[in-house]
Amino acid sequence: MAGGGIGVDYTLRNLPRMLPGLLLCLVFGWLALQWDATIHNWQREYKEAAVVLSSVKEGKASADYNAYKQAKDDKYMAALGQFEKGLESKKPSKPFVLKKDTYESVYTSGTMPTKLEFGNLMIQIQMTYVAVLLLLGMLIRNTIGLPAIFQAGTIAARPIIKPGIVILGAYYLWSDVLRVGVIGLLLVVAFVMGTAVLICFWGRKGKVDDGLAGVMAAGAGVCGVSAAVAVAPVVNAKPRDFFYAIGTILLFGTLCLFTFPYIGQLLGMSQPVFGAWVGTAILNTAQLVAAATWYGHQSLLTANIINIVRVGFIPLIVLWAIYFYVIKPAAACADTTKKLNVLQVIREKFPIFILGFFVMVTLNELGFFTQTQRDVLGKDLLKIFFAIGFAGVGLNIAFGDLRKAGGKAFAIGFIAATLKAILAAAAVMLIGAEAFTVK
Amino acid sequence: MAEQKQANHGQQDWEDRACQTFSAERKEDFVVLVLAGITLALVWTGLVGPQFFKSLFF
Repeated sequence: MAGGGIGVDYTLRNLPRMLPGLLLCLVFGWLALQWDATIHNWQREYKEAAVVLSSVKEGKASADYNAYKQAKDDKYMAALGQFEKGLESKKPSKPFVLKKDTYESVYTSGTMPTKLEFGNLMIQIQMTYVAVLLLLGMLIRNTIGLPAIFQAGTIAARPIIKPGIVILGAYYLWSDVLRVGVIGLLLVVAFVMGTAVLICFWGRKGKVDDGLAGVMAAGAGVCGVSAAVAVAPVVNAKPRDFFYAIGTILLFGTLCLFTFPYIGQLLGMSQPVFGAWVGTAILNTAQLVAAATWYGHQSLLTANIINIVRVGFIPLIVLWAIYFYVIKPAAACADTTKKLNVLQVIREKFPIFILGFFVMVTLNELGFFTQTQRDVLGKDLLKIFFAIGFAGVGLNIAFGDLRKAGGKAFAIGFIAATLKAILAAAAVMLIGAEAFTVK
Repeated sequence: MAEQKQANHGQQDWEDRACQTFSAERKEDFVVLVLAGITLALVWTGLVGPQFFKSLFF
């Protein structure tokens, strides 16, 4: 199921079954990262070639490659000198220099090489490793199909996104987590819990079966499949309703994943604002992390905090479902045998991996990481974990699962989730980038 | 009566499924923490440095 949250039983006994799919995701992820590195390099070359081209047109460029290189070095040394004298606050980065053959080709032809144009175009339309893994994965799954031998492993690859979420904690200070987290908490309470409560009451009013409304409230409100499975036994969901609800959640999540980055661009959302939006509106971790990464690193930093707050709400949504569907009706008919064991629910449902994230933030706050280590963890290694996980997500988007959406669940869940996405977009844009920026 | 029995059976199925899911999610969380811990150790000990990522690609 696409980005679903059903737990993977990682045991040594299951390893042989998972290994082929995990290896497939590793190779697929590596290929996508290779593609990503290549197009980013081409885009850097494109930008530099554009500068060279404009110099050629103005007659300022030299035909001699060494003279071009020397001029770049001189400019860098001059900027470095200014920085060392304290005249510039920011240390200049080393200049990007075109390779000899590219420089000569640009100089003599006076045009932009096609591969550089292509690289720039790919970045502009956000065809990075995230898009490649999701789109190509989905295409493979729904055309040539995924042989049975790979299925267990590709499902097991999806949670490999989570260690990336944990190590990303090295990028935050507690002041950022608390500042963005408090606003995130308000957003989660208003929109995520709000959606769940709205669906419960709407379901009651529209005489929708409790099982169906309860599962949809948990799934569309909080955390997709994972929350829906947690709530299903509480609300006596029928299997048919459950699968309708899951289908709806998956369909909505998949649509969001592929459209939100473009909608964000159309609405002119900055990266932190987009991160806050997807953190609130997209229903599960894998999908929102993918959409945020697709948009940019700053977007991911914000979305990650909101997501941590959101998944922390799973026990609360289960408590709400127990109260609304079990305790309240029991109280109405004076049945005192049904009681709510709050501590037990919290202990059983709390996603403990987020504690790892908090440990990382604390280590960073205490100065345990150098800037280089932070970049290695939060940029390089993060990409490796995400690439393997996104490969698993893409290869598990099966149209057959999405077609399970239907019935009243589809209407209620889809309308409520869409409403939540629209209102959340308006709210985060009004709040503005400053509040969501992780420095 | 038969309907009630079937309903109880269905309820039990969901409870079992929820238990399995959350027991698996717990295991998944531990695996996630172990992987993150190993990664951290590799970076702290310097076995994985700034050149590691670049060295993976052409």
